[in-house]
Amino acid sequence: MDRRTLLGGAMAVAALGMTSASRADEPPIRIGMSMPQTGGLAAGGKASLLGIEIWRDDVNARGGLLGRKVELVVYDDKSSASETPAIYAKLLDVDKVDLLFAPYATVPTAPIMPLVKQRGMLLMGNFSFQVNSKIHHDMWFNNAPWGPADAWARGFLGLGQKAGGKTVAMLSADQEFAQNLITTARDVAKKMDLSVVFDQTYPPSTAEFSSIIRALNAAKPDIVYVASYPPDSAAILRAVNEIGVGDNVKIFGGAMVGLQFAGVMENLGSLLNGVVNYNSWLPEPSMYFDGTKAFFETYSKRAVEAKVDPLGYYLPPYGFAMGQLIEQAVTATKSLDQKTLAKYLREHVHKTIVGSIEFAEDGEWKETATLEAQFRGVKDKNLDQFRSSGKQVILFPERLKTGELITPFEAARN
Amino acid sequence: MRRSDIAFWTGAALFLLAVLLASLLLRNEYPFFAGYVILQFIVLAVAWSILGGAAGYVNFGTNAFFGAGVYTAVFLTKAFGAPLLVQIAVAAAVGSLLGFAVGLLTLRMQGIFFSIATIALAIIIETTVMNWRYVGGAAGIQLQRPPVTAPFDSYVKMLFFVQALLVVVSVAITRYIQHSWIGRGLQALKDDELAAECTGVPTLRLKMLACVLSGALLAAAGAPAAMYLQYADPSSAFNLNYSVSVLAMALIGGTAHWIGPVLGAILLGSTQQVLAVTISSEVNVLVLGIMLVLFVVGAPKGLIGLFRSFSPRTGARK
Repeated sequence: MDRRTLLGGAMAVAALGMTSASRADEPPIRIGMSMPQTGGLAAGGKASLLGIEIWRDDVNARGGLLGRKVELVVYDDKSSASETPAIYAKLLDVDKVDLLFAPYATVPTAPIMPLVKQRGMLLMGNFSFQVNSKIHHDMWFNNAPWGPADAWARGFLGLGQKAGGKTVAMLSADQEFAQNLITTARDVAKKMDLSVVFDQTYPPSTAEFSSIIRALNAAKPDIVYVASYPPDSAAILRAVNEIGVGDNVKIFGGAMVGLQFAGVMENLGSLLNGVVNYNSWLPEPSMYFDGTKAFFETYSKRAVEAKVDPLGYYLPPYGFAMGQLIEQAVTATKSLDQKTLAKYLREHVHKTIVGSIEFAEDGEWKETATLEAQFRGVKDKNLDQFRSSGKQVILFPERLKTGELITPFEAARN
Repeated sequence: MRRSDIAFWTGAALFLLAVLLASLLLRNEYPFFAGYVILQFIVLAVAWSILGGAAGYVNFGTNAFFGAGVYTAVFLTKAFGAPLLVQIAVAAAVGSLLGFAVGLLTLRMQGIFFSIATIALAIIIETTVMNWRYVGGAAGIQLQRPPVTAPFDSYVKMLFFVQALLVVVSVAITRYIQHSWIGRGLQALKDDELAAECTGVPTLRLKMLACVLSGALLAAAGAPAAMYLQYADPSSAFNLNYSVSVLAMALIGGTAHWIGPVLGAILLGSTQQVLAVTISSEVNVLVLGIMLVLFVVGAPKGLIGLFRSFSPRTGARK
């Protein structure tokens, strides 16, 4: 045996020894992300993070991924787009994380898309809206039920049209999310031959809506599509409660942010009745999948300690599902290679606590699961009522439907 | 050339050389992402201090100038695919025009009324951009970076170097103002505008000059931010946080000398960057708040005042 063979053999034995010795104390798999924990998106960010943490604890209790513990590396992006590039550069270059999750919402996510594309990293999206439409990153998987860009507006306007609606009024906040939605809604209305009789955008600081609602009433629309943010959603519903919208309105709501959060729902109480609005998960019979019930049992307990949304329907189950998606990909491929994981995520249907997920070419869900649900029989100052089914009846999409639209809106309010 | 000038320009050249070498040699990109933000705040704090420090006109509209710079770059990129240096030059021109408008405000307003007017300016420009669909409006806009220019191997490293150049330019201008008749005139009008006017100080001309220079530099600092983020939306570009942070940096550093805002921006900017990736929760906001209170109470004239109180001789030097 020559010296080179001996040396090679010794190195191979040493390497094998190291491999078996290191199985027990291999470093954890590190998943890096920023999350809004201060600023305007903090309430959602904290709730979403709790969902991800519940998954981390769950997977670690089951032995981790590939026999390694899962560790989350999380930084606060202050809900700001200007913070995330530096944070994700640190996650990649200093912390050297194995996998990346995106922050909650579109604005903090948009600036990191070019960076992750350039570095060839897989990125799990967290409720962004069409953030990959211009970047075309082939390893982007948005963990949000939106589906195709026009599905949201199509769902709501379709319900209105089915109820006999021919004219639409659009009311939207002059902010990123609302404007993205309303732009799509205008196109969808045109395609559906619905006539837009009122199209008003208001500044984000607007607090008093009675004059806008009166102007909207004057247009006598059949369908009222509202894209608003939490403070304005509440103010709009208060104005509608005082002034009314007339018997001609068959359906009201669509894209009102805030009506998914426990605090806002509890405060508005009976003012919510009749409104048809979007949501991502609701305690309706069609929404329970394998593990959903167990997740919410754990969430309800931990939400109290974490002081986040006690109901947690909007974001937390999707945080957990994001972990499930990665878990399924890593377990099936036995790899942490970004391209391998991306290929698996793209080519398979994934079972999660929010249902089956299949990704389209652009990284969005192939089929929309954005719910349009009607508030019914809601009483004032009672949070627990929202834990039972029947308070938000799902009207869209068809496969998750749990009831029919009550119309006109004024009749549904009572 | 005076000895102090030689020392300054040697320091500036060494600083730029160090930045260039770091950009060429370091592979890890994180220091450039974090460093870019700190350099950006140095330019903003120094530019703010031309009007806010030397002339005593407190401008709360830093975000208006910064955002105008960002959106000038967005417009030029989208309309003409303009290169970075053109974006910065045009942003500076737009900023100087805005500065001229702010200068006109000083004809009628002083003190708190002037400050409120600058906030109004920010709101007006933000609302205009929000309704300007060509640059994305309220929905925001994503931008694609052009290929990086040699000798840099990454766009962020190039932006870091460009921002370092802006630091040198802004500090050199501020230093010149401080050491020239302009600085002395601004100091006079800060102490008593009427008395300065009566003794022959051309107050209007000086205020206009300070506004134009300050505005040009504030907007120039904003221009590269569009390509740094590759995304722009009005709520981020016109974030009031820029105004508050820059004001805090200038006050913490001290406005009596050009080095004050530089030190304040380095201290506060670095602290913000470190806290963002260490404490990373509501506590970092608390730490910054406590820092501000401590400086306001313990060192009302900023770091410069603190140094001077320990070394009285420094106060006499320029």
